[in-house]
Amino acid sequence: MAQKSVGYTVKVPGFEGPLDLLVTLAHQGRVDLATIPLADVTQDFLARTRDSLDLNEATEALWMLAALVEMKAKLLLPKAPPSEPLPETGESDLPEKLEERLAEYRQFRDAAEALRALEDLQQRIFVRPLAGEPADLLLEGVTLDDLFRAFETVLTRARRNRAAEVEDEPVRVADRKAAILEALAGAPQGVEFTRLFGRRVSAVFIVVTFLALLELIKEHKVRAQQAGPLSPIMLAAVTV
Amino acid sequence: MSTRQEGVAPPTAVAEGDADGALRELAGAVESILLVAGGPVPVEKLAEALGAHRVAVAQAVRYLQQRTHVTGLLIQAVAGGYQLGTRPEHAEAVRQFLQNQHSDSLTRGALETLAIIAYRQPATRGDVEQIRGVRSDWHIERLLEHQLIREMGRRATVGRPMLFGTTELFLRYFGLNDLAELPPMGTRGVQTLLDAAR
Repeated sequence: MAQKSVGYTVKVPGFEGPLDLLVTLAHQGRVDLATIPLADVTQDFLARTRDSLDLNEATEALWMLAALVEMKAKLLLPKAPPSEPLPETGESDLPEKLEERLAEYRQFRDAAEALRALEDLQQRIFVRPLAGEPADLLLEGVTLDDLFRAFETVLTRARRNRAAEVEDEPVRVADRKAAILEALAGAPQGVEFTRLFGRRVSAVFIVVTFLALLELIKEHKVRAQQAGPLSPIMLAAVTV
Repeated sequence: MSTRQEGVAPPTAVAEGDADGALRELAGAVESILLVAGGPVPVEKLAEALGAHRVAVAQAVRYLQQRTHVTGLLIQAVAGGYQLGTRPEHAEAVRQFLQNQHSDSLTRGALETLAIIAYRQPATRGDVEQIRGVRSDWHIERLLEHQLIREMGRRATVGRPMLFGTTELFLRYFGLNDLAELPPMGTRGVQTLLDAAR
């Protein structure tokens, strides 16, 4: 039915294979990141997310890309000379140590594969959900895609308005969560999605507010509803 | 061959063909409890509810497990209890009915991280990263969020790093009865487990 996730693959001059392999090899110094065009890898990734978006995979890929950029940045910066000369004796057994570590890693990789087989089987066995188990998110008639589209609309509008691009104050998710809850507390009939963001606000403010909203939905504190495909997305506080 | 005196003498093994009325009745009661429970029920709890000896309960479960040709359900020993679920061969039908797409699987990186924590527990972020060779914060956060791992205090070394271990949900997620059921490390153990899962 659904395809097993295979992760993002990279195809650039100098490397071809899964993204997580690139991260591992780069970390072990077996691939020279200086020769890998990370901008191309990122462009490729972005292009692919436009076709189809698996949120889990996309987030992980994004995280790995960030790790690669960080590694490459460190690589390109001039290094301070080592404060002490390296001990001479340890060098001869270095390949052995590396081999040992790889062998250990392979064992765990195999174990992970075994867990995958168990996961596959267990996902084909359905049990009655336990009371109090995290149930489905509180989205009624709204898909995650709908939410993202609404978010994009708000963001595009802000860019058009050329609102202040730099915030004076840092915007915090925790603060925005509190502000959203406050706004919803005063509106039992719900608040329209676009009204959460205000008029002249920066892109950072919008992104952080959206993240805050997603967290509130995940924590089952806010419910998102949409009466029909063209109706506005309404948000309401969950009353327990 | 009978369980007339429930709770007194452990009954002897009963082959499926000559299961007597008492065993069938006990089995039916066990099945009913497992249905309403949803999650795993420890054998002690079943025995207590049914006023039966735990050996008799275990025998009733075995009887239920052998009736594969007459039921779409199965009983697994999971997280220290018995759990009633649907048989994997009916997964497509159930999904169709629930309008349920394939559940999210863990990503490869998350599974590797989880494997290291499961075998080495309690383990720190540093333990995981030492073996995987890459930073693993992201995966650890996701696993905590999914409640497959939990914080287990701090290690008494420099920096007092947080220790992680697996949860009860971890056992249920992978259909394991306890941590001893993790496949032994090394290829052969893994292969045994893969064969068993098929």
